Amino acid sequence: MTNPISTAWRKLFYHDGDRYFLLPEVDAASPEPPDEGPFGEAGPKVASWYTRITFGGRHATPMFYTIIGVILAILTILEVWFFTLDVFGWFFVPMMLLLAVAKFIIVVAFYMHLRFDKSILTLVFGSGFLIAIAVFMILLTVQEKVAPDPQIAP
Amino acid sequence: MAQAAVTQETGHVADTNTGISNRKLLMWVFLASDCLFFGSFIATYLIYRNESIVGPYPNEVLDIPITSVSTFVLLMSSLAMVLALNYVQKDKLGLARFWILAVCFLGLIFLGFQVVEFTTFVNEGLTIHQNLFGTTFFILTGFHGLHVFIGILWLLGMAFVHFKGALTSRSAEDLEMAGLYWHFVDIVWIVIFTVIYLIGYSDGEGIHTIEHAAAIVGG
Repeated sequence: MTNPISTAWRKLFYHDGDRYFLLPEVDAASPEPPDEGPFGEAGPKVASWYTRITFGGRHATPMFYTIIGVILAILTILEVWFFTLDVFGWFFVPMMLLLAVAKFIIVVAFYMHLRFDKSILTLVFGSGFLIAIAVFMILLTVQEKVAPDPQIAP
Repeated sequence: MAQAAVTQETGHVADTNTGISNRKLLMWVFLASDCLFFGSFIATYLIYRNESIVGPYPNEVLDIPITSVSTFVLLMSSLAMVLALNYVQKDKLGLARFWILAVCFLGLIFLGFQVVEFTTFVNEGLTIHQNLFGTTFFILTGFHGLHVFIGILWLLGMAFVHFKGALTSRSAEDLEMAGLYWHFVDIVWIVIFTVIYLIGYSDGEGIHTIEHAAAIVGG
C-alpha cells in the first residue's frame, strides 16, 4: 500500500516521479541513481540505521536498551532543571507535558516492545489510553458545570 | 484457521488467530484498563487542585529533589527489567538473575522513598482526611505504591522460579508479562511526577468565597 506522503515525496524529488525537480542530464528511463533524493545518500542511510537498531533483529541489544535508559535519564534531568529555572512563563506546563509524553512514548515503544510487536497491541493499549483521556476531559467539563467549587467555606 | 506467527521479542510461536499469545493480549487489555484506573485518580486530583481550604498545601510539603531521585530510581528499574528479559531470552541466566534482583532492589528503594515522603507529610499535618489535596494525593500515589509492591512480589516470585531452574528462554514470556506490568507502573509514575510534583508544585490555597478573594487581594 502506498503512503500518500511518500508518494508526494517521490513525485517532488525523484526522477521517476512527476519530475518537478528533474535535472536535464538525468534520464528518467535509466535505473534509479543510488544517491538520488534531496539529501543524497544521507536520508536512506539514517532511515536504515534507525530501522536496524530498533527493528533489525529478533532481540535488541543490551547496549540499545542502555542508550534508551540514558535518554530517559537525560529527559528527567531536563525536566527538573527546567523546573528550577522558572523562566518559561506560560510555556512551562506545555513543555513539561511534552517531556513527559516523550518519556511515556519511549518506554512504551522500546521497553514494552510496542515498536517491535504486532500493531494490534498498540491498538489495544492506545484504545484504553484514549478512553482514559476522554473520561478525564468529560470529568473536567462536567465538574466545571455541576460543582464549580466543591469546598465552599461557610 | 489459526495462524502461526513469531512475535518479535519472545520468538515464541503463538498458535492463535492474532498471532499473539492469549496471555500477552490479556496483559495488554489489563494495562489498557489500568490506564482508566489511574486516569480517573489523576483526573480527580486535577479537578480538586487548588480547592483545599486548609493546609498543608502542595507548595508547603512537596520535596522535588527527593522525588526526582526516586523517579530516577524507578526509571533505572525499568532499564534493569528490560535487561533481565533480554538475558533470559538469550539464555544468559546468571545475568538475568542479577537484573531481576536489581529490579526488586530498586523497587524497594522507590517504596522506601515513598514511605519516608508519606511519613514526613503526616508529621507536617497532611493526612488523607486533612484536605482535598491530602485525600487525592494519598489515594493516587498510594495506589501507585501498591502497584509497585505487587510488582516486587511478582518479580520475587519470578526470581524464586528462576532459582529452581524453571525460567529459560522457552518460558521467557512469563518474565515478559511481569516486565510489561513493571514498565506500566513506571509510565504511570512519569505522568504523576510531571503533573503532581513539577506542574502542581506551586499550588497553594484556593479561592473559595468572594470575601476570601477580597482578603487575598487586599493582602
